[in-house]
Amino acid sequence: MSPNTAMYVSQGIHGIAYGMVLFLVSSGVTLIIGMMNILNMAHAAFFMLSAYFCYQVIAQTGNFWLGLLLAPIFTAICGMLMERYLLRALKGYGAIGELILTVGVSFLIIGLVKIVWGTSYLQIKVPPVLDGLIRISGLDYPIYRLFVIALSFLVLGIMALLLYKTRVGKIVRAAVSDSDMVNALGINIPLVFTLVFGVGIWLAGIAGVAIAPILSVYPGLADQMGMDAFIVVVVGGFGSLKGAFIVSIIFGLLSSFGVQFLSQLAPLLMFIFMAIVMTFCPHGFFGEGEEE
Amino acid sequence: MKKVLKWIFWIALGVVLILIPKFCGIYYTNFFVGFAIMAVFSQALNLELGYTRLLNFGPAMFFGMGGYGTALALQHIPGMPLLGALISGVFLAALLALILCPLIVRVSGVAFAMLHVAFSMLLYMLALKLRAITGGEDGIAGFPTPPFSIPGVISIDMKNPLNFYYFAIVVLGICMWLMWFITQTPFGQVMVGIRDNPKRIDYLGFRVPESKGLVYILGGAFAGAAGAVFALFQNLISVDSITIVNSFTPILMTMVGGIGTFFGPILGAAFFQVLEEVARHYTDRIELVMGLMLIIVVLFAPMGFMGLYRDIKAKLAATSSDIKI
Repeated sequence: MSPNTAMYVSQGIHGIAYGMVLFLVSSGVTLIIGMMNILNMAHAAFFMLSAYFCYQVIAQTGNFWLGLLLAPIFTAICGMLMERYLLRALKGYGAIGELILTVGVSFLIIGLVKIVWGTSYLQIKVPPVLDGLIRISGLDYPIYRLFVIALSFLVLGIMALLLYKTRVGKIVRAAVSDSDMVNALGINIPLVFTLVFGVGIWLAGIAGVAIAPILSVYPGLADQMGMDAFIVVVVGGFGSLKGAFIVSIIFGLLSSFGVQFLSQLAPLLMFIFMAIVMTFCPHGFFGEGEEE
Repeated sequence: MKKVLKWIFWIALGVVLILIPKFCGIYYTNFFVGFAIMAVFSQALNLELGYTRLLNFGPAMFFGMGGYGTALALQHIPGMPLLGALISGVFLAALLALILCPLIVRVSGVAFAMLHVAFSMLLYMLALKLRAITGGEDGIAGFPTPPFSIPGVISIDMKNPLNFYYFAIVVLGICMWLMWFITQTPFGQVMVGIRDNPKRIDYLGFRVPESKGLVYILGGAFAGAAGAVFALFQNLISVDSITIVNSFTPILMTMVGGIGTFFGPILGAAFFQVLEEVARHYTDRIELVMGLMLIIVVLFAPMGFMGLYRDIKAKLAATSSDIKI
């Protein structure tokens, strides 16, 4: 196969892997914003926290799979505690308090992480099964990136099944469209909110663990991802998982091919894309119009 | 009586401002200039965010534009007077707002906010890449600071920090007063009306998009003034001034102080500056202290300091009327 094709394929795989991780983060943001109307500025900080948890679990047990399993759960518990004890205290005061609070929490997490783990770059080793390259029809694929893509699809499949095929999923979807009405029907909406918040953070946690071996773990890990995830949610439309998915993949491909062809302007492509979309459809691709 | 009290307050404030360098030493005088710059920057944002609800999430681009305009004017035009440089910075920031406003006043809400993030990112990248003009990552430093002079009357050396303090305070004070004045005019009422109910303001015969555009340009110009003074103050302007962080600082200041109130952003700026200063003295974990303080403040004052003040006042009024009955 020609080197040109090989380049396209490998950049494509990089792009899709990044896009899938981006979608894991942004799906949590979009679920939380669609359902609870909370713009969670701390989401990316939780994403970073999970990578550190994973590092710690591996340091203790030496097992990557255990880290992959446990770190997102620990992170989700932290997130649920924050929702239960901090965000709920602000109910009824509007978006400003929530915004300040979540920014405060993200500062707090970054500060704590710097105290506990320091500011240096920590490496996470993937197990030998996932290391190296795999050769399919004359092309080399990095196994770990393929694993990330597969893992994301697996998680998404489970989430989609839960959301569209079960009773809990039905309640969640109903709450996204009108939480007051669902509450009036006798369903414990505060509990559902806490659970959805936890699931959103859990998704970010999985993304954090998945990206950790590629980028290594450091306190600034969340900066790029947090910004990207918010842009995805806004461009895709608030509360729309479909929109978040499509835009995540587009962004992943844009960034990987952008680095290849226009390395000078690569970071700009995403913003130009967003500016164009926002100018012509202000509510995002799949967003419903807000009532003014 | 009230008028006399008001005059006493203004005179006292003036005396305090004049005496600050005498009593506080040069370090805290400069600290105060930093605070005044952030207060004007936050207030300019509050005109848009709080009074008119234009969710400008990229105010740093106007701040940076003001700074770059001033620095470039001083660097490239020989014999540029100080006020001329300042005005060229403000003018550049207002020009940017003017260019953006036909596009931006068409959208509202989240799209407005995110477009600002996009444009400020765009400008950030431009400032980073257009090395020949902006100096890239190093920014523009060491441009000459001319004396403040009115030809034939007076010439004050601005390299002296004390003189610069008085100059900065006067310029920023004038900006602050102008913004106060704007909120008191009928136009200020229209701004608040647009925030509360744009449709009704439209039916009353006011032009909503044009008014929004005007507020946008004014906010941009005042943010540019803050940036211009900042560039003169530091004798440096770099891409750091256009980052997302520099956009979020005044937003947080405004929100913590109390959005949509005139004294809120000033209080918020004071809170942040003092907190950062104190934290820097005792620990290098500034983020941790900031995060904790933000959480504590928001739990006790979800609507900002001014909201808390209003609540306490309402509660006091309620209890005193209870006693009367």
